[in-house]
Amino acid sequence: MPANKSALRRYMIIDQVLRNSMRPYPTMDDLLNACADKDIYVTDESIQKDIRFMKDPSPNGFDAPIRYNRTHKGYEYTDPDYSIRQFALAEEDVMAVLESVDLVRSLGGGRFSHKFISAMEKVLSASLEEFGQVKQDVPVLQTMSTPECRGFEYFDLLYKACQRRIPVSFVHYNYQKRRFKSILLHPFLITEFENKWYVHGYSEQHEEVRVFGLDRLYHPMLLKLSFKPTDTAVIQSRLHDMYGVFAIRGYQKCKIRIVASAFITSYFSAYPIHASQVIKKTNGGSGIITFDLIPTLELARLFLSHGKHLMVVGPKWFKDIYEGL
Amino acid sequence: MKKLKAITPVLFHVTAGKGSLQNPYLMRVILHPHCTQLDFAYQAMKEYHRGGWIRIAAHTHLRVKGDSQRYALIEAKGIPIAPNQLDFESTADWQYFTLYFEPLPRKDLVFDMLEEEKPAPTDFNFYGIEINLAQGIPVIF
Repeated sequence: MPANKSALRRYMIIDQVLRNSMRPYPTMDDLLNACADKDIYVTDESIQKDIRFMKDPSPNGFDAPIRYNRTHKGYEYTDPDYSIRQFALAEEDVMAVLESVDLVRSLGGGRFSHKFISAMEKVLSASLEEFGQVKQDVPVLQTMSTPECRGFEYFDLLYKACQRRIPVSFVHYNYQKRRFKSILLHPFLITEFENKWYVHGYSEQHEEVRVFGLDRLYHPMLLKLSFKPTDTAVIQSRLHDMYGVFAIRGYQKCKIRIVASAFITSYFSAYPIHASQVIKKTNGGSGIITFDLIPTLELARLFLSHGKHLMVVGPKWFKDIYEGL
Repeated sequence: MKKLKAITPVLFHVTAGKGSLQNPYLMRVILHPHCTQLDFAYQAMKEYHRGGWIRIAAHTHLRVKGDSQRYALIEAKGIPIAPNQLDFESTADWQYFTLYFEPLPRKDLVFDMLEEEKPAPTDFNFYGIEINLAQGIPVIF
């Protein structure tokens, strides 16, 4: 659980007292008095709880080597070089981290942001005391965020699988076919698109690279099996040549051409959807827009969402798919 | 294949459906040192109003061919133990569930999962599930 700001201040004070070589082995009373000197009035139980939290292993706690020394009847760091202030930052670093925390908090993402914010709070705990913090009751940064979704709990496991190249077994449910399938995947990439998370990899069942929505996965398990790597060019292509996630099977990267009204062309100008986007405007402001992309279902859906303001010109097969949606 | 340590869980992909309706599907079997895990997938059926319901009897067990010993159900996840039941809301619903039984012996074998000794068509009985240790994949926990 992320520590609150007053708790973080107490950790700082405890750390300071424990590192004071002039008064080694501080007692509980010393710690309480040090807090009281900073206008923080707490009980023995709170300080004991703080010490327990500080001792908790990372990522939850600080892994602080605190021990009660029975001989000297006081607390000590068993590692004299230890301090939670080892993370101390300069003022501009603090501001940069605070902005990042705001952004991640705004992005949401459940466990992912929780882990990040918890880690950052620890980093900041060593610095906020010095620089203070502007208290904000409401966020000043807001991005689109959705409630935590099904399957996101597998993020850590799948991330580890991609990073360490470990094959994974899971059961997959296909929403369209309404069918389950056991999958043995050699994963290489996790992507997010429109707040939905996906894992890409070589599927032994399909004998090709496939992508699976995390929301449709059940019970993934890491397997002790030799990893089948995917060609780097394929990974690069998935990273750079697609808008969306689900490539239309059987088609390669190609030039896709659309005609958009002046109204919609303004949006494409302001928010290009891909690096390959090129707009040629007519006198009235409508645009002939081309993309060099692997065609995807998401691209077709995006075009469709603009209704009569947008028309696919080519290639013909993509136009047919678009009109058939 | 290297001989696996007895403590290593081993996974088998065994896609097998029950009866002519092929529902539920047995997706995976995992032999753990302390239990045997069976992963199932169920698609709610059009034959039943709002997809009907599912549950599993507490006395469901495994039985190895040629052996009279029963391997009892220890735990069920994703499916209630009877008389409780999971009511679907629609015929488009689905459910993934896992049953944990007492550990099967770590050897090549054929086993049945029996919800009822004399089953009705709707009971979840599966027969002739083959375990060939050479095809098992060690799981990392």
